[in-house]
Amino acid sequence: MAHQAHAMLYSVDPSPSPLTGAVAALLMTSGLAISMHFHTTTLMSLGLVLLLLTMYQSSRDIIREGTFQGHHTPPVQKGLRYGMILFITSEVFFFLGFFSAFYHSSLAPTPELGGCSPPTGITTLNPFEVPLLNTAVLLASGVTVTSAHHSIMEGQRKQAIQSLTLTILLGFYFTALQAMEYYEAPFTIADGVYGSTFFVATGFHGLHVIIGSTFFAICLLRQAQYHFTSDHHFGFEAAASYSHSCLMSYDSSFTSLFTDEAS
Amino acid sequence: MNRLLNLPVAAVRAFSSSSRTLKNKVPEAQKLFQEDNGLPVHIKGGTSDVLLYRATMLLTVAGTCYSIYWLLVASMPKKKQ
Repeated sequence: MAHQAHAMLYSVDPSPSPLTGAVAALLMTSGLAISMHFHTTTLMSLGLVLLLLTMYQSSRDIIREGTFQGHHTPPVQKGLRYGMILFITSEVFFFLGFFSAFYHSSLAPTPELGGCSPPTGITTLNPFEVPLLNTAVLLASGVTVTSAHHSIMEGQRKQAIQSLTLTILLGFYFTALQAMEYYEAPFTIADGVYGSTFFVATGFHGLHVIIGSTFFAICLLRQAQYHFTSDHHFGFEAAASYSHSCLMSYDSSFTSLFTDEAS
Repeated sequence: MNRLLNLPVAAVRAFSSSSRTLKNKVPEAQKLFQEDNGLPVHIKGGTSDVLLYRATMLLTVAGTCYSIYWLLVASMPKKKQ
């Protein structure tokens, strides 16, 4: 591989990760079905372990290809950026589906719901309590991540590490607050279409915040190990774009799912 | 794997006021991974890479067989009382 002059684009080495990742997906999905019929979670757990192994090894390999082998030339980086943008766009559409479900049921509430929205019997959460705090926490993390980005671009190593750490802590704070809200909520996922749409939408959002925090934690470790330079730190930019889009989706859900009346 | 085990130590040291003490090991890593030995990137780090690869592949094959086993079990008709 070292013989080729660094061509503008590169072909990756053969890797077991696509196979192991696909098998992980097979085991998780079939394991989920088997767990429901035969009350055993072994197959699903095996799939989860394989997923984590695949995620670790494939991201380790990408870091090796980029940071250690120098393959992430500007054209390659451009491709990576396109890839991340497309992925984030697909996530946005994923969330749009759940918002559509909420609006479908809330804008024209059926007689079974009492003909009103929120439905009869549902005690909604006060949006100006924990949900507003959560919005503030996520917005604050947007500030800290921008600060981290500028610190990286300026070559300020210590400040970048501090801002990144703060960003991750804010992400954890959000998750802790949301977990408490879930525990204290006066309605459950089983409480009709309101409960279903509320918990599925906010649940997937919360999962994405956890994913974002994890992505940033990896960026923090890489920043500490001198992987990022002031003009090449795409991994960090990908994490920041992903988290910003997550923040946007929470802002939208705040204005729709949490308010007392369907807009 | 060795590098992974060093990461918590590295992370803790990074937060100390003298974060300069964490040495920049990127040039060494660049030398290791650019060595002309024909190894694919997922094995090129050394023994720990090979062990992790073998463990992962073992789980992949075993897991596939296990899921086919359950497929067969689920395909069998339920015993009537």
